[in-house]
Amino acid sequence: MKVLKVPARTIAVFVLPCLLLYVCLVFAPILVSFYTGLLQWDGITTAKFAGFANFKDMFLHDPVFWPSVKRTLLYAVASMVEIPFCLLMAILLNRYVRKGNTLVSIYFTPVILSVVIIGQLWKTIYDPVSMGGMLNGVLIFLGLDSWTHNWITEPKIAMFALYAVSLWQYFGYHLLIQYTGVQNIPDELYEAAKIDGADGFKADRYITFPLIIPIFKISIVLAFIGSLQAFDLVMVMTAGGPAHATDVISTHMYNSSFLSFKYGYGSAIASFLVILCLVFTAGINTIFNKLEKKFS
Amino acid sequence: MRNVKHKRPKRPYKDGKRLSEKYKNNVFRETYTFLYFKKGFVYLLFAIPVVTQLYPLLWLMLYSLKTNEEILGGSFFSFPKVFQWHNYSEAYKSGSYLKYLSNSVMVTGITMVFVILLSSMVAYAISRFRWRYGNLVMTIFLMGMMIPMQATLLPLMIIFKNMHILNTHMSLILPYVAFSTPIAVFILSGFMKSIPHEIEESAFIDGASVYRIFRAIILPVSVPPVMTVCILTFINIWNEYILAATFISSEKLKTLPFGVYTFVSQYSVNYGNIGAFLVMGALPVILIYFFLSNQITKGMVAGAVKG
Repeated sequence: MKVLKVPARTIAVFVLPCLLLYVCLVFAPILVSFYTGLLQWDGITTAKFAGFANFKDMFLHDPVFWPSVKRTLLYAVASMVEIPFCLLMAILLNRYVRKGNTLVSIYFTPVILSVVIIGQLWKTIYDPVSMGGMLNGVLIFLGLDSWTHNWITEPKIAMFALYAVSLWQYFGYHLLIQYTGVQNIPDELYEAAKIDGADGFKADRYITFPLIIPIFKISIVLAFIGSLQAFDLVMVMTAGGPAHATDVISTHMYNSSFLSFKYGYGSAIASFLVILCLVFTAGINTIFNKLEKKFS
Repeated sequence: MRNVKHKRPKRPYKDGKRLSEKYKNNVFRETYTFLYFKKGFVYLLFAIPVVTQLYPLLWLMLYSLKTNEEILGGSFFSFPKVFQWHNYSEAYKSGSYLKYLSNSVMVTGITMVFVILLSSMVAYAISRFRWRYGNLVMTIFLMGMMIPMQATLLPLMIIFKNMHILNTHMSLILPYVAFSTPIAVFILSGFMKSIPHEIEESAFIDGASVYRIFRAIILPVSVPPVMTVCILTFINIWNEYILAATFISSEKLKTLPFGVYTFVSQYSVNYGNIGAFLVMGALPVILIYFFLSNQITKGMVAGAVKG
């Protein structure tokens, strides 16, 4: 393979503008926040070096922190629940519908909308029926009056109401990814399997599933990482309330830094979040690499 | 071997034939009813998400055209008696919709231009130049894809405050560009690796400089992945809310999602107006999606699969 050999100056011209911007605005801030995580600082008075006091507070004394970690992880698990269902739908779509693309584009519509729109829309859907909420209206129509709730102001169910919105919004996204993956499996494989007597779900078991694993992994990683970082939807809909009942790691970080002005503490949470993301991404990748090896 | 004749039996597969005749109708009928049932079930399975995914949006449309009484007393499915189009004109007048819209267009547009320019240059350098640190640079960009944007909120705010660009569009465009480049570099360099080297070589022999090759050959050839990058960047940046809400405070600088949020949270007298503003906020991206849905879905898949 022949590759251009150019003077270092040319390389610098091509690479440096982007790399500098990127390092200064993505990497440097992360490193800065690792450092400010060690400070006792409210942003106005001079910062005091406090060692690992913030981290100690976070892990041992903060009543909101661990529940928010739990909710974040639950969020991640909850958002993965729909992916097997999406795969099933993708397989069926590919088998029974000739122009599946149109259907998939319809399912995909919520994905392109801003969380602000989605959040406000669902807030009105979740409203009590006296305020015109749709969900409660449907429940009453079905005769399930006892099921009606004040969905996002009741602490016990508010978080589940948020999971549901995420599931709703990203359903089309995962379906689209799986559908494209299923479509990309060559038809010859199924024809050959048919001759060998494998049809329908038997063919899926031996052809579709092993070949779809890489695509499935992408969906899982996206859902998982997306929910670890889950932030804007919660901010728009509940901002962590009522009484921290819907706080996830990111909102807890945001509220500590920008509402309570505990910059040092907020940075400590941010560092924890970054590390969590890196660890989990690496973990999921190793698990799936093993799976792929096992199946192929 | 001549005397050995392969005589066809008079009634081939006698039993088999009879068997099939005996059961033919029955088996077929059963299979068909089963198939119809299965098909019906499958179509129902496809129809339900159409309703769940689209009905909330339609409901919002209806909501935006109702009076307060109709909203508060109405059921989950009802048409407004009279379409209250004035909800829209009121929402338009009381919020600065056009201002938000033009801010969003400007911020997203500038971001896209810079993302494409900068990331295609890096991608070109990574995929075509022979230099020691190519892989290292790529790894740095790849690592960035795992970093959550909100973790940089606080440090960025401090940095921008010291640079005195807080509450300007600059404070949005800079991080937007920075956070959009990793995926863009990844997609573009993947594509550029596949461009045949002969084109470049012959241009080089003809005396074209590296810059010329980049501008006149590589960029025009890379239009498809550039489109993918455009779509991904557009969707992400157009909808971005948190950075805008943290770094921007002047009314006249707000982007559309943030503007919609402020309108909705401040203006709670007339529900119809809120609905109207939400619809107006969703409208640009819905319109674009309506015309370009195929390209957008393809671009989003490419972004997801390669990312």
